[in-house]
Amino acid sequence: MATIHIRSGKSNLDCNNRKLSNIQSVPFKIHADCDANVNKYFNNYIKTDEKGQTSASFRGYPLKGKPLGLPEGYVGVVLHESVKPETEKCERKFYVTYKFSKIHYWNWDKAPSDNDSIVQALQWMDIAEALHSPILEE
Amino acid sequence: MQNVKILEIGTIEILKIFDKKKTSKTRQVLSEVIDNKMDSQKIHCLETLQNFISETDNSENAFYISDIPEVCKEFPCILGIDEAGRGPVLGPMVYGTTFCPINEQMILVKLDCADSKALTEEKRDVIFNNICKESKSIGWAVELISPNYICNSMLSRTKHSLNKVSMDSAVALIKAAANGGVNIEHIFVDTVGPPEKYQDYLKGLFPKFKITVSKKADSIYPIVSAASICAKVTRDHAIKVWKFPEGIDITYKEFGSGYPADPITKNFLKRHSDPVFGFPQLVRFSWSTAVNALEEEAYHVEWEQTEDSKKTPPANNTSITSFFKITSKEKGVQKPVNEFFAQRCLSRNVEL
Repeated sequence: MATIHIRSGKSNLDCNNRKLSNIQSVPFKIHADCDANVNKYFNNYIKTDEKGQTSASFRGYPLKGKPLGLPEGYVGVVLHESVKPETEKCERKFYVTYKFSKIHYWNWDKAPSDNDSIVQALQWMDIAEALHSPILEE
Repeated sequence: MQNVKILEIGTIEILKIFDKKKTSKTRQVLSEVIDNKMDSQKIHCLETLQNFISETDNSENAFYISDIPEVCKEFPCILGIDEAGRGPVLGPMVYGTTFCPINEQMILVKLDCADSKALTEEKRDVIFNNICKESKSIGWAVELISPNYICNSMLSRTKHSLNKVSMDSAVALIKAAANGGVNIEHIFVDTVGPPEKYQDYLKGLFPKFKITVSKKADSIYPIVSAASICAKVTRDHAIKVWKFPEGIDITYKEFGSGYPADPITKNFLKRHSDPVFGFPQLVRFSWSTAVNALEEEAYHVEWEQTEDSKKTPPANNTSITSFFKITSKEKGVQKPVNEFFAQRCLSRNVEL
């Protein structure tokens, strides 16, 4: 398996100090890689009900979501790879461009629940902790 | 249905607040409104109608019902229902109702409430003002169904059709009038679909009222004409005072009629599309005109697979060329991923 390097910010190494980013996970794939006017076209329309459940729309599709916190002791990072690997065996370098401590998770017209893979994936971290932490002698 | 609940509380002005309930300030605003004079919130002419519309959140539905005239509570009434802005690709669809006592219905003819389709925009505005002035005998209500609500319904998992949205709105208007104390005797409804089915549906819901559903009801019954005028005037003004949360700074003159064939509307769709988000929420994304325009102007978006397509297992045929490939022995003994991890979409990507 190829080696993967993860490095802190390319041009600005002070990304630790940067404000935590607002990361949103959406149930669709946009076939583009570009900046988007998320504030005006999306964040503007997010509504929160009494239960903390949020709703929004994308291209007319109704979305339901909620914020998911990362387990304690973990931090989320957004990685950027400037050079795409030519083969699978190439060494790969990723740079940390953003950090986050929670994700706003969206489903298409379905309230997020424990049935969603991402919620379950986050649960694994707690289980892993219990399974793999060293047993201390009393 | 939410509108109905409010009417039971008895204060009409709370309606508007209720639609804004998702904002955290609800309680504060609510008490403010109760403290302030409610009269300031009432619609008694075109101008106050515009104020009402511009204060509502245009991504959500809004509801308004006038004061119920005392005579409408006392004497048996006719109630007309019609819609405006069903076809356009832009802006809200508005459902309207007007009601008045049966023995005062001549007032409608006096107000020129006949065949609303034949009226000019200016004439409709005048008649609307006159309807407002006759608040001692005529009551009215409108529901603005936001373009966002329309496409959210049509693009939901359960695919709520435009007809269903329309019927729900008509039912909500009838219930609002009934809960407000209107002594309903006979309901007249304009329909685009087959009238018989619609009539049976409404009769099932409101067995106590006489119900007439017919095509072109707005040119046959003056009470439906009046409702049609309230709806159309509200729709026209909703478009006029539309503010874009997206920050687009153009006036309604650049939208055109909103009908897909209108060249101004076509041009608007072309010029104000966003490659990622498609259109501002003024646009009904679920219209084929909008869908087609996006295919040309915006990035392709792929949605999650539907439940059905997920269940069909992937074709597991071994391709014939695979037998000629050199394979290492280790590959064959790779441990399958435990179900626990597969379900959570977790896989091992790094060798430790």
